[in-house]
Amino acid sequence: MGLRWYHFALWAGFIILMYAMPDLVSKGTLRTFIFANFLAIFAISWDVLSGRTGYISFGHPFLIGIGAYTTAILTKRFDVAIEISIPIAVVVTMIGSTLFILPALRIRGSYFALVTLAFMELIYQLVQVIRPDLTGGTRGMSGIETLTRGAVNGYYMSLSLMLAVAISMWLLMRTRVGTALSAIGMNEDSVQGSGLSTTRLKLFAFLTGAFVAGLGGAFYVHYLGSIAPRALFDINFVFTIIVAALIGGSSTIIGPMVGAFFLTYLLEYLRPFLPGAERYFIYGGIALIIYIYQPKGIYAVVMQAWERLRSGKSA
Amino acid sequence: MGTIAIGEKRMSHPLEITNLVKRFGGLTATDDISFHVEQGQSVGLIGPNGAGKTTIFSLIMGELRQNSGTIRLYGEDIGGLSTPARIKRGVSRTYQVPRPFGEMSVVENIRVGLMPDSIWKMITQGPDREREIELALSVGFSENDLNRRPDELSMGDLRKLEMARTMATDPSVMLLDEVFAGLTKGEIAQIGELIQQMRRDGMTFLIVSHDLKALEPLIDSAIAINYGSKIAEGDYADVISDPDVRSSYLGVA
Ligand SMILES: Nc1ncnc2c1ncn2[C@@H]1O[C@H](COP(=O)(O)OP(=O)(O)OP(=O)(O)O)[C@@H](O)[C@H]1O
Ligand SMILES: [Mg+2]
Repeated sequence: MGLRWYHFALWAGFIILMYAMPDLVSKGTLRTFIFANFLAIFAISWDVLSGRTGYISFGHPFLIGIGAYTTAILTKRFDVAIEISIPIAVVVTMIGSTLFILPALRIRGSYFALVTLAFMELIYQLVQVIRPDLTGGTRGMSGIETLTRGAVNGYYMSLSLMLAVAISMWLLMRTRVGTALSAIGMNEDSVQGSGLSTTRLKLFAFLTGAFVAGLGGAFYVHYLGSIAPRALFDINFVFTIIVAALIGGSSTIIGPMVGAFFLTYLLEYLRPFLPGAERYFIYGGIALIIYIYQPKGIYAVVMQAWERLRSGKSA
Repeated sequence: MGTIAIGEKRMSHPLEITNLVKRFGGLTATDDISFHVEQGQSVGLIGPNGAGKTTIFSLIMGELRQNSGTIRLYGEDIGGLSTPARIKRGVSRTYQVPRPFGEMSVVENIRVGLMPDSIWKMITQGPDREREIELALSVGFSENDLNRRPDELSMGDLRKLEMARTMATDPSVMLLDEVFAGLTKGEIAQIGELIQQMRRDGMTFLIVSHDLKALEPLIDSAIAINYGSKIAEGDYADVISDPDVRSSYLGVA
């Protein structure tokens, strides 16, 4: 996997800093961090599914929603224990993601994105129509069992989950399977021509991305204790996930994680000045500027600076 | 199944094409073509532009599906198989228009070709760096080229990369589509020597080339096609002096 000393050093430094955070910042800020952790999980999930393969998912809330609703319904309506309902939710999300493979067999690019967006709409309609006694219909659900109490515990829980996801996905994508998925994004026909089944690789990307999305969605609902379909199945949520991944630098795992924190803080700092939806214009603008300056995102900007620093030192 | 398959392998030809037809709308790009290539033989496939050479390659690889006719690899009808499944059975091709992975280095491009079609193995086993470098050097790359990206490579280099990626899939039958186009004399000699080396090692070839001078020493026999039909087959000298071939292909009567 080509791990170097500085990989360990950077991860260790980052982990220590993040775990020390409750001593460094206020409870209010910590709550913002919690949201950033979950957004990071969703952005990483998007990166696994779309970042390398180029099969752009606009329907991520579809996956997150399956995970969230499955565990919410199981625990609240059927008294299933959380330790059991979360794994079930993850598996159901992965099964749901196999729907993505149907359009992915035939179409790419914007059409694929549109079909996945339709999946999100579909599930939004379904939770309202089918068995609202289970899903809570338009109003959603509340009083769902929570895993943690208080900001500090919530922060540690979300951070641990985010780090576990980030490190495992980062390691996974450093193996040859990451190379193969990138190759699909560059030239799918040549991947076939190299003897690799692209359908199987895409399915792997979708299942892994869904694993992360389902896990994140399930934990998120047990952090919030409630579920609001209109906020969950919202195009703004889709954009927040995608912009976080792109701003940070897609197909790097680290980038989407960084992007999620960057974006959460940007939105948070803009809140006092722009309480309404105008904030989204500002972040759209900032995302655009970063994108124009470096289409590969913050990750690439930092890497370039690091390379310059290294070559400067050795020269 | 093991012993039977081996027995079959010995008796049947590496590649056998029977009454192959491919139509694009009203155009018959492959018109009832039949031929076979024997074990360890190298066959040149020649014909003017648009004769249907590349189409035959695409049909053999399963990138296009024939309207009728059969394609057999070591006796097995591979007509219904996917491209990766055919590659697994030992046939592989280069592309006339090189199709590298644009944001990967030369070694990474070769790495994709070397990968087993098993996600589990991709994850648990690291890349075979020695083999990657060995393949890159064998097609004529220098050490300095290994980390170059396709946009920094010449047409000659891109063709070498095509060769290397194709060889990486470990074929026993190789289909080469215009591997000499855009290459310098030195590069042609180098790729030619590589093909000769593989012939000595028992590789079976079907080679398309407009560069007849480069092609001639590399083949045991030739097949000429025009408008999708086979017009001559046999010794290169006989094929090339065939009146039909001369009029169609060389533009002389
Ligand atoms: N996908 C396709 N759809 C429609 N027509 C096609 C397609 N591919 C090839 N053709 C046509 O089929 C005929 C044979 O094309 P092919 O590429 O096989 O020729 P070729 O012998 O390889 O030519 P060249 O020497 O120029 O590479 C041509 O008339 C071409 O225009
Ligand atoms: Mg051709």
